[in-house]
Amino acid sequence: MTTRANAWERYGLGLVLPALLLATWQLLGNASQNPRMPVPSRIVTAAITLVASGDLPLALLQSLIRVFGGFMVAALIAIPLGLAMGHLRAVERNVDPLVETFRPIAAIAILPLAILWLGTGTSAAVMIVAYAAFFPMVINTVAGAKNVNPTLLRAASTMGLTRFTTVRTVVVPAALPSIGVGLRIALGVGWTAIVAAELAVGAKAGGGGSGGIGQMMFVFYAYSIELNRIIVCMIAVGLVALVLDRLLRAGMRAMMPWART
Amino acid sequence: MIANATGGRRTAFYYVRTMAVFIAFWALVAWWTENPILLPSPWSVIDAAVGLARELELFEHAGISLGRMVVSIGIASALAIPLGLAMGLNRRFERFVDPTVEVLRPISGIAWIPLALFIFGIGNALPVFIMTYAAFFPILLGTVGGVRAVDHRLIDAARTMGVPRRTIVTRVVIPAALPSLLVALRLGVALSWTAVVAAELIGAPSGLGYAVEWYRELLMTPQVMSFIAMIGVIGYVCDAGVRWLNRAFAPWARDA
Amino acid sequence: MIGASKLRLAGVTKRFVGTGATDTVAVSDLTLDVRQGEFMVIVGPSGCGKTTVLNLLAGLDSPTSGTVAIDDRTITGPGPDRGVMFQDYALFPWQDVWGNVEFGLRYGPAGAGLDAKAREERVRRTIDLVGLAGAEKKYPNQLSGGMRQRVALARLMANEPDVLLMDEPLAALDAQTRIILQDELLRIWGQDRPASGRRTVVFITHAIDEAVFLADRVAVMTTHPGRLKALIDVPLPRPRGDATRALPEFQALTQHIWSLIRDEAYRATVT
Repeated sequence: MTTRANAWERYGLGLVLPALLLATWQLLGNASQNPRMPVPSRIVTAAITLVASGDLPLALLQSLIRVFGGFMVAALIAIPLGLAMGHLRAVERNVDPLVETFRPIAAIAILPLAILWLGTGTSAAVMIVAYAAFFPMVINTVAGAKNVNPTLLRAASTMGLTRFTTVRTVVVPAALPSIGVGLRIALGVGWTAIVAAELAVGAKAGGGGSGGIGQMMFVFYAYSIELNRIIVCMIAVGLVALVLDRLLRAGMRAMMPWART
Repeated sequence: MIANATGGRRTAFYYVRTMAVFIAFWALVAWWTENPILLPSPWSVIDAAVGLARELELFEHAGISLGRMVVSIGIASALAIPLGLAMGLNRRFERFVDPTVEVLRPISGIAWIPLALFIFGIGNALPVFIMTYAAFFPILLGTVGGVRAVDHRLIDAARTMGVPRRTIVTRVVIPAALPSLLVALRLGVALSWTAVVAAELIGAPSGLGYAVEWYRELLMTPQVMSFIAMIGVIGYVCDAGVRWLNRAFAPWARDA
Repeated sequence: MIGASKLRLAGVTKRFVGTGATDTVAVSDLTLDVRQGEFMVIVGPSGCGKTTVLNLLAGLDSPTSGTVAIDDRTITGPGPDRGVMFQDYALFPWQDVWGNVEFGLRYGPAGAGLDAKAREERVRRTIDLVGLAGAEKKYPNQLSGGMRQRVALARLMANEPDVLLMDEPLAALDAQTRIILQDELLRIWGQDRPASGRRTVVFITHAIDEAVFLADRVAVMTTHPGRLKALIDVPLPRPRGDATRALPEFQALTQHIWSLIRDEAYRATVT
């Protein structure tokens, strides 16, 4: 009795509003005479077409590869640098001004420079993702490395550990949860940045075949005004963001059972 | 970071020294590449920035972008804070609204640009919509989280003094949630500022994002870099502004 | 002198619904009378349901069975006649000392009928009473543990409740501060006054010497489920002070209570 009421409260109640919104949307769309008007049923058809033709998966894959490329570049620089900055005052003093100076510059703002330097292809997109992902990674790594309990460091030194061993066995594990948070934020930011970069490349570089989900959306807007397809792409962007986040979180939980993420 | 005056002076010294090394390195690379379009020298960028500032072009575009952001943050707060309070205070209402929020949230503001272009066209409405959308979710979640995390004993303490429920909401729940709300506002401002550049780059006839793209097409790299720097400066100033709000309105909470 | 029953717990059982089938019985069949003007201390090892008893008296929780009453009226919720001092003080971090002390008078019924001037006088007097003069503009996070404790006490006293309910208010303090504040607490409570002028207090602690030093009577509780094991009179003369702690009767009572809960306390440390 109570359990049934609970199930309704917990799962059923939340479905009311989306169902209501979708139904209203569909009804309004049916009433409208414009065949281009996006409605849920046409969006489903468009989604099936785009998935079946392989266009959407291909575009997503292309964008994902760029995100992973940029993400890896950023991680390879940001994590060692962040550990060094967090552990050694001298490194932090000298590098922190650069980080703080460039951090407020939104990654998309760098795009015109990236296009200028690297063209409208994959390298420019990777550079934007790397730039966007770098700052959350480095800041969280520094914070994690600094937050190491000083008693643990003292304990390590009384056991005669060398500096490098201390970093490897004490600082890194202690900083890991914070690094994980940085990676999660970075992946989200990187995904947003790739969509923006591809959109902008599509809009400003004449849509020259560089591909990716962002550009696909822009092509649907600029050349054929396929609103149903644009919405399919938006949903795909959201789903990928969600899946990336969940995967990374699950991975981190498996890696660090002692930390709560 | 370091509170006392000598510490502050030392931090400033390190800042100047690092940036001097950076600029020297940049000048060296620029001299070596000999391609002012790809990499202009630091001096030509400063020259361009001074020129743009003197003709007020730099400030006009910055003012336009900043104005759009202020409007967007205002709209987003006006929508998200009351909704977040209601969700945080009423479990059933939260269950009613939450799935809809969670479905929309992963779709970044930037992904709305093509659809918004169709709906609003090129103009002020597009960037304002995108920025409002980008700021809405962090502010909403921060409000809900803040209300939910209110130390229950504070509410109990007020109840044992016989304080009525409405007053508990205004005098205990809202102040207790305020630090978390201000952290969320800071995040909202940052996300919304990222979105403005993207939105203006594609769909606005003015603003910093537009200016950057305009000068790129003209291959006037020093001007491009000047505007990029301005984006950074305003981003920094906005963040400092929200932190100041935090200190002014929630002095009891640690700086976010 | 010490008057009729002020608070009454009659056959009170409190069961918390756990996850699955594991309900927790926090308090089982507890009957206890607290007299008007009495300083009652409830002592017992952790997990004996002391805090639950206090929450029931405060009206923050309701019993599963049995009745909890004040002046023979059943308690149905919190009220300004019973003030609570919480374990970690529950001070409002966004209010300074003055604002915290004034809170109940300003937003609750305790301040009804007071104009701004009378309210200010009351806050002033209370802050002076607990020795916080000069710290009015400080926020809780700028205060030491002992000072926070004083603020919590002042906030409680400013509302002038009939009954003071205190949940281990000294537990977070170091040993010296604790002794000083035990003396202060008795002074503020009014141990120099005749018994008819004192407020009723229910004070929770796990420290036996503290219980004996403060109490008119000590209620000893035991665990799993929480039950009343013994009710012990403390006939030490008031006013009490440092000399009291040195009395052989003080030592004897402390020993006696310790013998009542020793086995349980040992068991509690390994579970």
